[in-house]
Amino acid sequence: MSNLSLTSAIPNLIRAVPRSRNFEAMLIFWVSGIHAFALAQIQLSILQIMTWEMLLYWAPPTLSAMIVHWVLRKCAVKADGLMLPLAFLLNGLGIAMIYRLDLAELAAGGSDLFAQRQVWLSCFAMLIAAAVIRVVPNHLALRRFPFISGLAAVVLLLLPAAPVIGRTVNGATLWVGTDELSFQPGEIAKILLAIFFAGYLVSRQGSLAEIGSRVLGVKVPRAKDLGPILLFWFASLGVLIVQRDLGTSILYFGLFLVMVYTATGRGFYIGAGLVMMVTGALVASRFFDYVERRFEVWLDPFSSANYTAIGGSYQLVQGLFGMANGDVIGTGLGGGFPQLIPLAESDFIFAALGEELGLAGVFVVLAVYLLLVYRGLRIANSHPDDFSKLLALGLAFVIGLQVFVVAGGVMGLLPLTGLTTPFLAAGGSSLLANWSIIALLLIISDSSLRSNK
Amino acid sequence: MSELALFLVRIGFVAVLWIFVLSLLSVIRADLYGRRVMSRLAKQSGPQLSQAPVAELDIDDGDAFEPTKIQMLTGRSAGNSLELGEKKEVTIGRSPGSDLVISDEFASNTHAKLVLVGDEWVLQDLSSTNGTFIDGKRVTTPVTMTAGATIRIGTTTFDLRS
Repeated sequence: MSNLSLTSAIPNLIRAVPRSRNFEAMLIFWVSGIHAFALAQIQLSILQIMTWEMLLYWAPPTLSAMIVHWVLRKCAVKADGLMLPLAFLLNGLGIAMIYRLDLAELAAGGSDLFAQRQVWLSCFAMLIAAAVIRVVPNHLALRRFPFISGLAAVVLLLLPAAPVIGRTVNGATLWVGTDELSFQPGEIAKILLAIFFAGYLVSRQGSLAEIGSRVLGVKVPRAKDLGPILLFWFASLGVLIVQRDLGTSILYFGLFLVMVYTATGRGFYIGAGLVMMVTGALVASRFFDYVERRFEVWLDPFSSANYTAIGGSYQLVQGLFGMANGDVIGTGLGGGFPQLIPLAESDFIFAALGEELGLAGVFVVLAVYLLLVYRGLRIANSHPDDFSKLLALGLAFVIGLQVFVVAGGVMGLLPLTGLTTPFLAAGGSSLLANWSIIALLLIISDSSLRSNK
Repeated sequence: MSELALFLVRIGFVAVLWIFVLSLLSVIRADLYGRRVMSRLAKQSGPQLSQAPVAELDIDDGDAFEPTKIQMLTGRSAGNSLELGEKKEVTIGRSPGSDLVISDEFASNTHAKLVLVGDEWVLQDLSSTNGTFIDGKRVTTPVTMTAGATIRIGTTTFDLRS
């Protein structure tokens, strides 16, 4: 036994810092170089000169990313080495694009600026992520509170509908706060829901997968096992009908389906879930005119009735025109007209990037997301503990599904929804939630490699 | 700036992004190759079990060790035993299809197997995540079971006895 522990200690003695950390440091330098390139390109093509103002948008996020890296070296030395640089790359690209839209806004005489705010919110979110890595010693502690997290998620989802603090923007009741300071509690709720599903499913895994009576050749689980899940599902779905946001409900339902399917390995859940989703969508389009309008816009964006209608397809069509203008290699940062798309800095930042970086650039952005999700799934796959597996899978899937729904919406392949593009879009709640997801995934990957030694 | 310079900058930026992503692919490829080397080793020692080097734990005292059952010592099924009967092979793991199902967080789905070679039981680890141990030593090559040797998988221990 002593012999064994000695031999397994040798790699740790030789390599106190695993290769992934040094690689990560190198990638962070590289990514910050890419950000400097982007900002310089924007200034050169719009202002014709480079100014020191660039540093305001470049230095704070780079410093924050380095702080996260330093905390990882101290507290989670074996964590995955690609996650942080990938998220940082997207975050910085988002800042550059928002800065570029700000310059266009200034040139047009406007004063609706977002970039400075986005810079500080990014720094704040990254520092929160660093704090999470520092403070949460072990994510398995989260396993003890599945029902508390579930309840907290529902409360957070309900908050925007509450009087006084709740706010409705563009028809969706998703915000809490005042005009200056608002927050989307739903973004945090998705993390809590993932914790709840993981904790609950892992304790019921066996009975959900094995026990059940056969109906028409399909094993249907006992009502007792399904009850709490269905209850939470109805609760969050009901909340979302009240809040009038289609995207968020698709996100939660997708998360639920994937986690149940992974926990049990039973196709029944996917089949039943898809049927429920399609019926739900059809019923919703009959009864809620905002869903019906979204569907009309999606099916026929170029009809003049839809194009001119308030809340019609104007935004979507402008985005499509922009991306068409971008062609394969794009107009170059600062060379296009993304400012013509309404909400180009938040909901339609994907279309803005599509115009200025072109098809080639959009593929890179999607590839970065793909790598991010792949790393998440890899963490889930290699972790020995079931709760961690499920949690990592849920968190990675949330990012993937959000990108899918947003990119599909902007390209006109799916109905438009109010979901945010992770890390790219302007908005503090989304940054905070997504950086927390990265922090949790890093903690999980660190514990996975530790328990293997 | 001239048109040409802007054009080069524009191409350059997308190219830099691509180089970044493609260089990350090399890391992922390293992941995959790492795994492939391991599985090739497992394959080599798998089918030709009798030719694989067999590490002897104790000096054979001449008496043949002919166990008839597997006795669970610790873990969730402690106290239970599995009769070997006429079995030639016992698969051990967390998956419900295993001959010996181990409900242990640290057990892999197909964790290890015991194979009857001639009249000896040989334990082989099937590239499990957390390893199989005999009397505290990790099993890397197939090991012949001797009387009194305790197998440990995660927190579950068991031995072969008659």
